[in-house]
Amino acid sequence: MFDFINPSNIFRLIEKFINFINSIFYILLIIALTFALILSPPDYLQGDSVRIMYVHVPSAWIALASFTFIAILSVLNFIFKTKNFNLISKCVAPIGLLFTSLAIITGSLWGQPTWGTWWVWDARITSMLFLMIFYILFIMAHKFIKEEDKAIKISSLIAIVGIINIPIIKYSVEWWNTLHQSQSIKLLNGTSTIHTSMLVPLMLMLLVLLLYCALIFLMKYKTEIIRIKKKNIKRL
Amino acid sequence: MINNFISMNGYGLYVWLSFGITILACAYIYYKTYKTLKKYEKDFAKELNLLSASEKKIVVEKSKIAAQILASHNKSI
Repeated sequence: MFDFINPSNIFRLIEKFINFINSIFYILLIIALTFALILSPPDYLQGDSVRIMYVHVPSAWIALASFTFIAILSVLNFIFKTKNFNLISKCVAPIGLLFTSLAIITGSLWGQPTWGTWWVWDARITSMLFLMIFYILFIMAHKFIKEEDKAIKISSLIAIVGIINIPIIKYSVEWWNTLHQSQSIKLLNGTSTIHTSMLVPLMLMLLVLLLYCALIFLMKYKTEIIRIKKKNIKRL
Repeated sequence: MINNFISMNGYGLYVWLSFGITILACAYIYYKTYKTLKKYEKDFAKELNLLSASEKKIVVEKSKIAAQILASHNKSI
């Protein structure tokens, strides 16, 4: 059923995608950084500290989207028993962990000038910390459990349990009284209260970071396929 | 103007640290991922070279992926 996502079919396309992303990435990065650091205006209240938003918000979005993706693949893996789903999850998890860490660190760097503190144990920030823990558990399950089937089962369970945390992160600013500001962009109904002059650099930075994620994912996926092929070299 | 750009009206430390940490972390992960990929390609080519000539020929002919890994490894050396 899922023959189209067979590693051997995908492998042919990976090299092409990597070359394509490499060819446009640096140009887009320079354009996005120019918008984010020079062309976009400072906020009337937060001044230039608002520029942290251009790395903080895309990082948080990628962190949440990656975990949701991993959880969906884990459910599909339980139903269809396709090992390729697990392979994809395994490659996405380190990317998700990287961006969760970046969202927390840049959030802390934004918190100091705007709230006067590096850290508060409020709902949004604490739930993001939990997300980081779920990512670490997922990665550790693959790293330290030697029996592959057991590692897949345990990591899938971690992802499915961890998905409960995603709506908590998303709606924490509405459900509880927190220091964190409420959503300015509602992805589900496509509305935004951000001015275009700030929305453009935000979307450009999101695009650049998504391309980066794709690049890392493709390289990791290629590495995993080579690892499997190397293990079974005599049976090829 | 350049001073303003660097100081970001007093928020320079926070803004530059945020962008700096993001870029450095991403660059480090890219470098590590790339190195690991190349290491696996090299190991695969080495393993393939351990096979006899006829076995190697069969593997390369039968597996498109093996042929591609070998080509990618040869391109990078």
